[in-house]
Amino acid sequence: MKSSLVRQALILAALALVPGFVEAIYFRDKISWQSPVPASEMVTAAQARAWGSNAIWVDARPDAEFASDHVPGAVSLNEDRWNELLPQVLAVWSPEKKVVVYCSSLSCNASREVARRLRKEAQLANVFVLKGGWEEWLKSKK
Amino acid sequence: MKTNIFAFSLSIVICVSAHAELKWDQTMVELHPAASDKQAVAHFKYQNTGTKPVRFKSVRASCGCTAAQSQKEEVPPGEKGEVTATFNIGERTGTQVKTVNVETDDPQHTTTVLTLKAVIPQQLEITPTFVFWGQGEAPKPKTIVVRAAKEFPVKHLKVTSSSPDFQTKVEETGNGQFKIDIEPKETSRQIASTLTIQPEDSQKIFYATARITNAPAIQ
Repeated sequence: MKSSLVRQALILAALALVPGFVEAIYFRDKISWQSPVPASEMVTAAQARAWGSNAIWVDARPDAEFASDHVPGAVSLNEDRWNELLPQVLAVWSPEKKVVVYCSSLSCNASREVARRLRKEAQLANVFVLKGGWEEWLKSKK
Repeated sequence: MKTNIFAFSLSIVICVSAHAELKWDQTMVELHPAASDKQAVAHFKYQNTGTKPVRFKSVRASCGCTAAQSQKEEVPPGEKGEVTATFNIGERTGTQVKTVNVETDDPQHTTTVLTLKAVIPQQLEITPTFVFWGQGEAPKPKTIVVRAAKEFPVKHLKVTSSSPDFQTKVEETGNGQFKIDIEPKETSRQIASTLTIQPEDSQKIFYATARITNAPAIQ
């Protein structure tokens, strides 16, 4: 009786794995939003604040959210108007500076995408994504 | 043993029939917008295959660049409908994946995640899009490489500098690839230029930036 129950439990567990395998095969190409950002490319609000004037804060949220409020001195760079906004970031950038990109829970993975493009397309070094984004920065202000 | 297998099969049948009220044709849509498209719209079709009406509690996109809406608030048994997700492409590139969370009052299936995958064509790949010199650095030319996608053959590139302080030279290197050499006239002061890069016979303009930074030259 016991061995029969164990066997059935194993069969159920094996069946439960099937959809997981199917999904893994279907989404086999790596999608950036699913890949976690390496820890070395993330920065906490406290660390970024400690960089002081050596940090350039880049706001990856949509225009309306940036207009409503943002980190003091932050520069707006979102993918809706990438070509128009990018020169503003490059104008304040210099090789010794660290770039801290943030978004909010409403703008999902925008900071990762903006950071990725700054590294890959503009080939900037020292580009970091703010852990917890705008909400975390607000908390750290208190 | 026979009783156990029967009970197991019965439970599977019950579970499957209980889940089957709002049946989606597909929960993932892959779109291939044209290079000139401003938006990509995904249609997620469904049918209420159950015996009770299903009410939508919320239809929310994962981020601000995507708007999602349902045709109706309540779906009577047997009726069909769709949820549309409109993704604003903006100046995004590459493969973009956005999700829509659909919540219904179906107790067996309260949340469904719909996925929109948009593969945005990239006519030109420009590497890097930014070149810079330190102040006082030798004003030697720096190179930007432009690769045209196979589906967008480019014969000639027109490159214009917004500042006369930078000179540009374009050279075709074959296989749809070009080399742009940018040379500043001097590096003693902070200056910048926006380079507009336009393939012949195309309305689309691409950009790169050249700048003399205030950082000391790296020798």
